[in-house]
Amino acid sequence: MNRLRVRAGKTAALAVALAIACGVPLRAQTIGTDNNFWFAGTHLVFEHPQLHGDSLAVATDDDGLGRLLAKAGAVLSYQPGQKYVVLTDAQRRTIAFTLGDPHFTVGGVLETAAFAPYASGDVAYLPLLDVARALYLDPVSDAGLVVLQPQIAALDVRAESTATLVTLRGGTPLHFKRLSKPGDDTVTLAFTGTGSTLAPDRTINDNILRDVAISVTGSPKNPTTTITFSAVAGGLHVLVPSDSPNSVTLAFAQSGVQLGGTTIPATGGGAGAVGALSLSEPTLAQRPAPPAVPAPLPAATLPPSAGATAVAGLPDEGGTVPSAAQTPTADGLTPATITAFDTQNVDDGFTIKLTISGPVTYEWHRLSDNRWYVDLKPANLTIPGQEQPLNDPSIVSLRIKPFVGPSDHLATVRVAFTMPSPREVTLIPSIDGMTIAIDSQDDSGVQTAGTGELIDGQLVAAIVPLPIVAAAPVTEGAEQPWKFSLPSGVRNPKLIVIDPGHGGSDTGAAHNGLVEAYLNLDVARRLRAVLIARGWQVKMTRDSDVDVYQPNDSARDELQARDDIANNAGARLLVSVHTNAFTTSELQGTTTYYYTASSHPLAEAVHARLAAALPTQDDGIRKENFYVIHHQTMPGILVEMAFMTNPGDAKLLSSSAFLQSVAVAIADGIGDYTSSGGQPVSSTSSDTSANASDGN
Amino acid sequence: MRLLRALVVVALLAAAAYAGYRFFLPPPPVTAATATVYYCKLDGETLAKWVVSVNPHATDTTSVAFYVTAQAVAGPPADTAAIRFPNGTVVRSAHVDGGTASVDLGGAIATNQSGSFAEGGEFKALVWTLTSLPGVTAVQVKIDGVRVPTLPGGHLELDEPLTRQSW
Repeated sequence: MNRLRVRAGKTAALAVALAIACGVPLRAQTIGTDNNFWFAGTHLVFEHPQLHGDSLAVATDDDGLGRLLAKAGAVLSYQPGQKYVVLTDAQRRTIAFTLGDPHFTVGGVLETAAFAPYASGDVAYLPLLDVARALYLDPVSDAGLVVLQPQIAALDVRAESTATLVTLRGGTPLHFKRLSKPGDDTVTLAFTGTGSTLAPDRTINDNILRDVAISVTGSPKNPTTTITFSAVAGGLHVLVPSDSPNSVTLAFAQSGVQLGGTTIPATGGGAGAVGALSLSEPTLAQRPAPPAVPAPLPAATLPPSAGATAVAGLPDEGGTVPSAAQTPTADGLTPATITAFDTQNVDDGFTIKLTISGPVTYEWHRLSDNRWYVDLKPANLTIPGQEQPLNDPSIVSLRIKPFVGPSDHLATVRVAFTMPSPREVTLIPSIDGMTIAIDSQDDSGVQTAGTGELIDGQLVAAIVPLPIVAAAPVTEGAEQPWKFSLPSGVRNPKLIVIDPGHGGSDTGAAHNGLVEAYLNLDVARRLRAVLIARGWQVKMTRDSDVDVYQPNDSARDELQARDDIANNAGARLLVSVHTNAFTTSELQGTTTYYYTASSHPLAEAVHARLAAALPTQDDGIRKENFYVIHHQTMPGILVEMAFMTNPGDAKLLSSSAFLQSVAVAIADGIGDYTSSGGQPVSSTSSDTSANASDGN
Repeated sequence: MRLLRALVVVALLAAAAYAGYRFFLPPPPVTAATATVYYCKLDGETLAKWVVSVNPHATDTTSVAFYVTAQAVAGPPADTAAIRFPNGTVVRSAHVDGGTASVDLGGAIATNQSGSFAEGGEFKALVWTLTSLPGVTAVQVKIDGVRVPTLPGGHLELDEPLTRQSW
């Protein structure tokens, strides 16, 4: 890599050196002593400056300095009693002053200030104009004012094998207007509000970019720097994402070269110039936050059934009954249709099979008086509703009725039944709908509500429904490997706790139109459906967009609450689902984290499946002391599915197929882990079919 | 009178000589002392380091701890690919007490959710930087003056001192 650097500072440095040699006070030390400054379109007043010789000193806690630094994107670190005062600018250069020493460093380069910074009480005083210049803010006299004029002070040219990168660095966020036409060989950008002391002409001549011309117009308060890049005929030029709003990077190449970045817009800069993604097919993660799951109503508060022939005790829908042709959806979604249902007495209980066409969400509740119901929405019932008493050991009565939700106005179909005792109920998705299996045994009662999403066609087809008999994960008397390896805190070896990271007042990261809390919940619901279909019991730390502890709580309370759910339930495993993000777009991939030693085999097993199944980069497993996977009593992992800040990963995260693949891969990994008795596994099989493992 | 003129001429010559010295020679090095600052590469694991000069007037351990903390939080130059603390993170204080460095950070770090990946790299580099100081083996992190279990909405556990063995 050949690197050429052209720095404006050289000219200024030479002038400074000449002036010092000639004894001329070129530091303009006599300006700015009357606290009459102009910066970024407004007067800038310092609260309690001190005159130090003929230079102005400003305190580290001065609000005027604070405004200046904020606009420049810089921060100041100082601790009373400390000898160092360190400023960090928007481009990560450090400007380090030492109290009592006029020397200071700017990005490691030694400079000399007008005076040595000094302490007074709990604050330090810094030479204002030296600070300003170090931040690329040049003091310019203008009609009695001192304008601290933001500069484009550096123009770095970096020649790579197929492209030439040009980076402009300014004292404040750079905003430009493109004056040239998109297809021109020359690119002309006008940077408003920014001056420059860069040399007017730069010759590059690297067969891609010929030269750069720079001119400054306007007034000291409102300068405009116009920069023209003359590229080879027919070449390419794009805007490259930048880490700092104070810099703009352009890439030039000859035609035929693949360049990352975006077409140079008519106006731009100021926000990192990251190209916007065009994402299609919104998933749950991109939709508005799903409504919170209502708490199960106490039996005594349930409204009576509306129908005169209603079976006593079945939960009433509380909405209006839609007409047969009604297809209401508040948000424009096409309702699924329930075209048939079938009931069957089986050896181990009773099943209700619903034939469903189209995607649908479901939300179920177990009530305290042995009633249970599930709402499917948006959905229409194309067959007559049913209300019937049943003479079966597992079910007393059943009702299937359509209604319109009173709060969300969605077409809803409710399946409700009463059991003789709190039987175990399992939802089993299938290619053509869903089967509700009522077990002949009572449930342990760990879960009273839940939600999920059924998507017909390919995604759900990957989940092979298990027979009711096989759905029971533990057979009494059968030897199970975990009997020899379960941690002492595990009291329910059938139970897996899924923790969708963030939620409620904490959205997690949000980039590229994606919101982490929604994504995590989306995948967690899918994972739950897969695990339940394989016979596991599942408990979610949250099943809607809510805080687990309480809104705006502390991170400890929130994370401990999630661990408490798993610990109190005596769950066998904890899986926390997250989506990664970074400050730049370059990072990508899938990572699985663990902390405790007992969690390492689980991390290995799950990550092997993730790496084999997903198209994302394999970032491996890592040990990190993350709170949520440290304070649980059972093996626990945290899966970071992909980076929502990376365009490629973001596109994947916007795909239902990818999210389903993540869920299936995690479930497969859990299956590998449990079938190995919690020992390290080396499976890297790409077989991610749902029946590769059943969790038993 | 002649003596006075001679003194003036000598003074002017001395001033001219000093100006020439300042012009033709590079500034003298501030210090012979240096400190090592680490940053974490984008693979999330590999650490790299660079050396910074330490002002000879401020070489006590607490001063250097503050200085290298500020450097580690700033990270390497902008064109170096690295995991970085959120832009706008401030070093509020740094102390060394026994073998533990106590660092108080504020600004953007107190509100920014940089994600689990970034958190690991940021603090790994900070811990390596401070534990490269003589006698320092652990780093206690505070946020806005308070010992916190994690960053807001965060992941990495911070309420106990971090060591190189934390990773």
